[in-house]
Amino acid sequence: MKQNSVKDIPRRKFLEMSMKGGLLIAAAPSLLYALNSCSGSGATFPPPGIDQALLDRVLARALEKGGDFADIYIENRISRQIVMEESVFRGGLYGVSQGAGIRVISGNKTGYAYTEELTKEKLLRAAEVASFVARGAEKGVGKPVSVTDRTSYVTVKVPLQQVADDQRLQILKRADEAARDYDRRIKMTSIEYNDEIRSRIIATSEGVYLQDELPLLFFIVQAMSDDGTNRHMARERLSYHSGFEMFETVSPETVARNAAREAIDMLGAKDAPAGIMDVVMQNGWGGVLVHEAVGHPLEADNIAKGVGAFTGKLGKKVASDCFTMIDDGTIPNFRGTINFDDEGTPAAKNILIENGVLKGYMTDILSARQLNMPRTGNGRRESFRYIPIPRMTNTYIEKGNDNPEDILASTPKGIYVQSLSGGSVNPVTGVFNFTCREAYLIENGRKTTPVKGATLIGSCLDVISNIDAVGNDLDFGPGICGKGQSAEVTAGQPTVRIRGINVGGSRG
Amino acid sequence: MDYSKLTEKLLEKCLKTGADAAEVYLQTGRSLTIEILNSEIETIQEATVAGVGFRVFTGNRMGFSHCNNLSDDVTSETIKKALAFAKLSTPDENNILTDDVSTQEIPGLCDNEINRVLTDTKIELATTLEKEALRDPRITKSSGASYREGESEIFIANSNGIFKSSKFSSCSLGVSVVAEKGNQKNTGSESCSRVFFGELMSPSEIGALAARNAWEMLDPVMIKTQRAAVIFDADTGRSLLGGIITAVNGERVLQGASFLKDSLGSQIASPLLTLVDDGIKPKGLASKPFDGEGVPTMKNMIIENGILKSFIYNMRAAKRAGVKSTGNASRGGFSSLPGIGTHNVYIAPGKSLRNEIIAATQKGLLVKEVTGYGIDPVSGNFSGGVSGFWIENGKILHPVKGVTIAGKAFEILNAIDMMGNDPDMNRTFASPTFRVAEMQIGGK
Repeated sequence: MKQNSVKDIPRRKFLEMSMKGGLLIAAAPSLLYALNSCSGSGATFPPPGIDQALLDRVLARALEKGGDFADIYIENRISRQIVMEESVFRGGLYGVSQGAGIRVISGNKTGYAYTEELTKEKLLRAAEVASFVARGAEKGVGKPVSVTDRTSYVTVKVPLQQVADDQRLQILKRADEAARDYDRRIKMTSIEYNDEIRSRIIATSEGVYLQDELPLLFFIVQAMSDDGTNRHMARERLSYHSGFEMFETVSPETVARNAAREAIDMLGAKDAPAGIMDVVMQNGWGGVLVHEAVGHPLEADNIAKGVGAFTGKLGKKVASDCFTMIDDGTIPNFRGTINFDDEGTPAAKNILIENGVLKGYMTDILSARQLNMPRTGNGRRESFRYIPIPRMTNTYIEKGNDNPEDILASTPKGIYVQSLSGGSVNPVTGVFNFTCREAYLIENGRKTTPVKGATLIGSCLDVISNIDAVGNDLDFGPGICGKGQSAEVTAGQPTVRIRGINVGGSRG
Repeated sequence: MDYSKLTEKLLEKCLKTGADAAEVYLQTGRSLTIEILNSEIETIQEATVAGVGFRVFTGNRMGFSHCNNLSDDVTSETIKKALAFAKLSTPDENNILTDDVSTQEIPGLCDNEINRVLTDTKIELATTLEKEALRDPRITKSSGASYREGESEIFIANSNGIFKSSKFSSCSLGVSVVAEKGNQKNTGSESCSRVFFGELMSPSEIGALAARNAWEMLDPVMIKTQRAAVIFDADTGRSLLGGIITAVNGERVLQGASFLKDSLGSQIASPLLTLVDDGIKPKGLASKPFDGEGVPTMKNMIIENGILKSFIYNMRAAKRAGVKSTGNASRGGFSSLPGIGTHNVYIAPGKSLRNEIIAATQKGLLVKEVTGYGIDPVSGNFSGGVSGFWIENGKILHPVKGVTIAGKAFEILNAIDMMGNDPDMNRTFASPTFRVAEMQIGGK
């Protein structure tokens, strides 16, 4: 069983993200979308000779032994990482990754092969390897590919290709200084800047041909406080599909000060209580709880297998009336925004649960076929090395009518969760766990003492039935979601109250 | 392609491009994944990988770049990028490459036959495993069975005259099933990983374990919030002790970001706890003759009879701390810089039988699964979600789900009062059953 998780950041492979104050950059996306097509990698993309005629040949080879559907996914990714630790530049990292994956679907079977060399011979060979799975099936016929229209939801003002490395370094320096200036008890900072440009070509036996280029920025500030007795490692992140102008919208200093604030505030943390209690979750990245607890079980792969926690519940009441949950891959410039998914299906705003009633699942091409349901634009993959599977994009609890202050004031006793580190869910049983990074006791309707990282556990069906207050302050935070492969997402929610969650404190 | 020659050529290219010192880490490999659902092939995936990472130095400044396109023009451009980055970074006298040219042979790291076994045999194996796991009538559904294998070869060369290479293989067989009863639903999984195909456990053994993991948790009873003994069943120790591995990371210790930073040489745990990291174990899934920087690996005592004996280091952290590298430079692959990580970790077996530990427990929780992050390496706090069995008067009474356990690392480690003799040494983190005398349990 694959556990789906959003994890804390291991030292080098960042896996989790959150930030506050998501700002929409609203504009006519398709008009402003003007990126240089030069990849700067020393090689052009697509390489010469990889044209639509060749892709038609490769798709025909893929379906030669049979099969219902075939697709080609060609990717080029140029990435940069700069790490500053203990106020010293540890060195930069630059990477080029290129390859193509070829898939054949025959009934419920999938054959997949990929190549890192983008040559005619290697593509045809990969198509042949992928085609073996369809041995014996009726011979498939594909449509010739032609350029397909898709809306873009990503605008860029300052393309990453035009940014000098020194400008990137300045961002890290500014954050480092701001975090250390916040308080003398900030003893160490670790700052990570990542950017990438992912170019995709998708060609399918249904005749779709798409090419686009998505920039992604990802900025993480960690600040560690130490007062001689206690230590706390705090973290704050910022991420958009955007050009370098992201740092004008939210300054590196703001990100750094938010991290430093958490580090200092949590120094006085006391042991958390243990047992079942009411939890108020602050707006923003806390939405990752429903991302895990509800979102993953609504991904259609486990539903198609007949094992998912929400199997057979379509159209039924599964949550409280005040609970509406949406997955939307079209929010301008958001980290989870995709234009079209990695199978070429347009991104969409999909209502998953509306006023407590289950409205739909998130599908990829395969699960949509198996369930005879529409494609929702959720077929995503980490890279050409992976098969697309149903994944979330920007997933959130829709805002409600309650005033956030009233929600807190009407909760006599419990835990106020300001930020979560991350967690995981078993998508079959719906059992989830989360670790709080910043949390406080609620006493007499007020946020009081900070408490040390406690685990929250529960089951998805219980938690969405036990949400009894939904605020009007919807906000988002970005993260990396893991499900055997990683995907960039955002999770969002207004302030919500959940009755009766089991809190794993160390105090009775 | 002759990757040995290519590695050497690329090293020369780094130096010609202007690096004062350089390291080339080249990795090639292939993988096969077979997924079976309801006796049908769900997915077959085949892939080959080749990529290279460059660490280049100008003075003490370091830059890193990687690419998976080994053509002349792309590698040249990629090396130039690393050099450009190096010039921007802060000089650091601890940025050094190893000059240890010694090599060692570890038997049993690669099964040359694995590729000769027919794919159909491997499909059959996974299909049989799924059938075996579904044999028990309490098991209602399959979430799928899988067979995976991989072979890889690593070449590392640096300008101090190191050139080393080694081949590895691994294969694994796993299954996940669902047990249902009324509205209850439970999943159970089991998998087996080995270097040698011929040494995989039989489908019937793996299948029976997966099935049991699913059905034995049916009909759980909620317990009260209380303090009681907690027994970590064999292999669950990893979920608790994983944080210790991060806390002994020499770099984190230097940064002050470890709850063990001032504890070297002191008693941090019960004398029953001995924790070992072994990089040279024959047939070890995580064994390697050299680490991610080319330093020979070894067997390191981390905790011996409760005393913290050693932190773990790569070259950079070791130089900074004034010690020698412990051969613990880890690499996520050609695309990542050397970090610090462990090889095969195990808790040394004690004397108690598992049954004796249960029988000696008046009131406690036998933990079968732990979720969460384990001990926090910075603060030493621990909190996790668990499922398992409730024990009273030395007997297992009923399954328990949806409870939490929590505590502080030093208190938990020092409260270990029984150590079992049953670790599965084939795992890359092997832990016997052990008991913590008392912990906070959160329930109703």
